[in-house]
Amino acid sequence: MASEALATAPVDEIDEELVEEAYEVLDGPAGPQPKSKWEEWKTNFRRHGWILLFILPAFIYVIIFCYVPMYGILVAFQDYMPGDKILGSNTAWVGFENFKTFFSNPNFWDYFLNTFLLCIFGFIVGFPLPIIVALLLNSLRSKKVKKGLQILYYAPHFISLVVLVGMLKLIFGSDGLLDQLSIKLGGDVNGLKLFLSPEAFRPLFIFSGNWQDFGWSAIVYLAALSGVDPALHEAAKVDGASRFRRIFSVDLPAILPTIVMLMILSVGNLMSCGYEKVLLMQTSGNLETSEILSTYVYTFGLVGGQYGVGTAAGLFNSVINVALLVIANFTSKKLTNNSMW
Amino acid sequence: MKKIIIGVSAAALWFVCVVLFVVSAMGGTTSEHQFTVLTVKEDAVKDYNTMPVFQQLAEDTGIEVKWIYNTSTQYANNTDPVGIKGIDAIYHSGFSNLKLYDYGRRGRIVAIDQYLDSMPNFARILKSRPDIAEALKSPDGHIYSLPRVEEMGLKAYPNILYINKKWIQKLIDDGNLPEGVNLTSNQLVDGLDLYRYEFKALLQEFNNRDMDGDGSTTNEVPLAFVSGNWQGNESDLIASFGVPENREHKTVVDGRITFTIENENWFKAVKELADWYQGGLIRSSSFTQSDNDFLARGQDGRYGAFYWWEKDTVLSAEHRDDYIIVLPLKDDDGNRYVGVSNEQEVEKGECVILDSCEDKEGLLSYFDKFFEPEYSAQLNYGSIKSGAFLPDKVDGKLIPNDDHGVQSADDFRMKNAPYGVVYLTQEVWDNSVEMESRAKLRLNNLENYVKPYSFVGVTAIPNLNYTQDELITLNTYESSLANNIASWFTGSITGGSIPTRESWLNFLQTNRNSIDTVIRINQTAYDRYLAAIGG
Repeated sequence: MASEALATAPVDEIDEELVEEAYEVLDGPAGPQPKSKWEEWKTNFRRHGWILLFILPAFIYVIIFCYVPMYGILVAFQDYMPGDKILGSNTAWVGFENFKTFFSNPNFWDYFLNTFLLCIFGFIVGFPLPIIVALLLNSLRSKKVKKGLQILYYAPHFISLVVLVGMLKLIFGSDGLLDQLSIKLGGDVNGLKLFLSPEAFRPLFIFSGNWQDFGWSAIVYLAALSGVDPALHEAAKVDGASRFRRIFSVDLPAILPTIVMLMILSVGNLMSCGYEKVLLMQTSGNLETSEILSTYVYTFGLVGGQYGVGTAAGLFNSVINVALLVIANFTSKKLTNNSMW
Repeated sequence: MKKIIIGVSAAALWFVCVVLFVVSAMGGTTSEHQFTVLTVKEDAVKDYNTMPVFQQLAEDTGIEVKWIYNTSTQYANNTDPVGIKGIDAIYHSGFSNLKLYDYGRRGRIVAIDQYLDSMPNFARILKSRPDIAEALKSPDGHIYSLPRVEEMGLKAYPNILYINKKWIQKLIDDGNLPEGVNLTSNQLVDGLDLYRYEFKALLQEFNNRDMDGDGSTTNEVPLAFVSGNWQGNESDLIASFGVPENREHKTVVDGRITFTIENENWFKAVKELADWYQGGLIRSSSFTQSDNDFLARGQDGRYGAFYWWEKDTVLSAEHRDDYIIVLPLKDDDGNRYVGVSNEQEVEKGECVILDSCEDKEGLLSYFDKFFEPEYSAQLNYGSIKSGAFLPDKVDGKLIPNDDHGVQSADDFRMKNAPYGVVYLTQEVWDNSVEMESRAKLRLNNLENYVKPYSFVGVTAIPNLNYTQDELITLNTYESSLANNIASWFTGSITGGSIPTRESWLNFLQTNRNSIDTVIRINQTAYDRYLAAIGG
C-alpha cells in the first residue's frame, strides 16, 4: 500500500501525501484530522520536536559567541576606552569621527592595497592547491602510500605560527641557512636578505602559509571524493577512460558543489588574513608591503589605545567581506547553480 | 542505585565548585594591607614585599602596601589594567600621553595635582622645576601620573663608536694598513681620531681579511649597530655628514622643529650607507636584529666596530680590552658632528592612582616619600641593606658599593632595584648620593669623546604637552610617517642600488603633507612649552 509505494518511490520523488498516508499506517487510525497549518505544525512538533535538541547547542553557541558580541561594533561610533559602558548614560557618541580618522590616514590606500594583494595572491595560490592534492591523492592505487602522504602533508598544520616564523627566519632570515649557503657559494656578502625586501614578503608569507595548510584543507575534498560512486569509475574504465580523464570527468564534477561552497566561503574571508603572522614577519625593510589593515588595527587600535578607530577599521573590513561574499554567492548561483542561499 | 550515586556525586561536585567560588570571591575583598598596588615585574626581580627599601618605607610612613605582580607580557595583554578589581594604584604603568588623558578625563585615575597638600616633596619639585611640571600636564592641565626623573645627562647621547684595536694592530703588524691610513700602535687608545674615509678603509680591510684568524673571511662583521634602537643606532654615523640626526629624525634647530630627512646631508648619508652596505661593511642583520641579538652576536668579539653606550654589555670579559673609543668621525673638512636624541630624562606615566582607591591622600603621601633622595637612590639601585650602597655615608652622601661578588653590576641591580618613581637630579648627585662608578665612567666618556662635538643650536625636543585634537592628529600622521621613513630608509640602503636624488625627492613629496602636519603641531606645542617655562 502506501508504505510500499513509499519504499519503491525514487528518493527525490517522494510525495507528501504518500508520507502522510505512511504515517497513518504506521501510527494506526488517527484522531480528528488536523485542519489548519498551525495545528499540523503542532502535531509535527509534538511528534518530532525532540530532534531540534540536536541543533540547540550549535544555536546557543552562535547566539552567545557570534551575535551577542556584535553589539561591540558600536564602539566604532564612540569615543571608547575599555571599562566604559558601551550603552550607558556617559557613552560618548562621535558619529563617523573614527571612520574619518581612519580614512584620513595618509597611508590608508597603501594598507588597503597591501591587504588586498596579499589576500588575493594567497587565494589564487592557496585555493586550487588542496583540490589538486586531493585529486592526486585520491587516484593513488596504494592505500598505504595515500595514508602516509596525507599525514605527511597535513602535519605542518599543527606547527604554531610563532614557531613557523622562527623556522622561516632561521632558513631565510639574515645569517640564516640560505644566506650562509649563498655567501659560501660566493654570493653577495649580505646574503639574500629576504626578510628585508618588500618583494620577498608576499611570496614568503603565501608559500609558507600554503605549505602549512594545503594538506589540512585537502581533507575536506578527500572526504567529498570518498563519496563518489565507484560504479561511475568502473563504467568510465569500461568506456576506456584514462586515469587523467576520470579525474576530470568523474571526480571533479562530483566534488564541484564542495569546491564552489568552499570558494564562496573563502571569498567572504578574502580581506581578512590574520595579523599575527604578518606582525611576526614584519621588519623595517618590508613595511612597504607588510603593513596591512589588520596590523594597522592592531598597532594603532589596540597597542595605541585608539579602540574606536581600530573597531571602525575592523568594521570597514567586515563590510567589504560581506559584500564580496554576496557577490560570490550571486555569481556562483548564476554560473553553476550552486549557492549558499 | 547507580543513578543515586551519580546524582549524589554530581551534586557534591557542584557544591564544591560553589564553595570554592564563594571563598575565592571573599578572599579578594578581605585584605590585611591598607593598599594593594599592581606592578609590572619580571620573575627574576626579587619580591617587592620583602625588599628592605619597602620595609623601611612602611616603618617610616606607617603605611602598609601589598605589591602584586604582572609580567610585562601579562600586562601588555591586558587592555584595561585600570579595571582590575582590588588594586589602588599601578606602578610601572607605562601609560602614554593619550592613555593618561583618556583615563584621566573619565575620572578613572586620580588627578594628582589636587592632592599636593599631602605631597610636600612632589609639590616642591613642581614649584622649583616648571619644565617638569609642564611636561607632566595632560591637555586639560591636570597631572595624572607620578614621574620618573633621572637626570644624568646620559640619554641625550646614546651612541659611542667603538673599534677593535686588536684587529687594527694586526693590520699594522702585517703591513696591511689601507692606503692613506697612517696609524701607529701608540695611537690605539680611547679617543682614536679618524676621518670617515679612513674608518671606511679600515672596515674594508676588516671585511676582506680573516681578522679573527679562524680561517674564514666571512664571519667578521665590520660595523654593527641596531637600526632604530634607542641606543647604539646609526644616527651618529649619519650625523657625521653634517645633519643633526637622531632615531626619530626629528630635532630642534635654533628653536624650530625640524625633520632631518629633508636635509640634503641626510640624503648624502643614506647614499653613502647604501654604498657601505653593498661593500659588505654594514650587514643586513643591523637592520633586522633586536638589541638582544646584537648583544649576543657581539660577545665573542667578531665586530670590527660597533655603536653602543657601554662596551662591557656588548662584549664578554675576554674581549673587553680589545676595543677602544673612536671620536665622532671627521668629514673631509675635518669637522665632527653628533646629534642629540629625544630620549626623555623625565618619564611620564610611571605610577597612576586609581579612582577606586579609598584613601588617596594616604597612598599619595606614601609615594611622595619616593622623591626623597635616599629613597630614590635605593629604589633606583637597590637598598642599603641589600648592599647596593656602603652602610656609612661620606660627607652626608650615600656611596655606591661596586663589589657585588660574583654577580655583575647589571645582574645585581636588576634583581634588587624596583626602579620606577624616583627623583635624581644634579642637585641630588651634588649633595646626597654619589653617582655609581659605571655611570661616572659613561658620563666621562661622553664628556670627553662625544658631547664636545654636538651641533651648535641643536637641542632635543622636550616632553611636549598637546591638546586633545593635536594628540589625535599626531597619532594618525606620526605612526604612518614613521613607517614610511623606516621603510624608505632601510629600503634605500639595503635595496641593492644607490638611491637616486629623484627617489628621495619623490619620497619627500609623497610624505609632504604628513611632514608638514607633524612639524606644525610640534612647533605649536613647543612654542607653548617655551612660553610656559618662561624661556
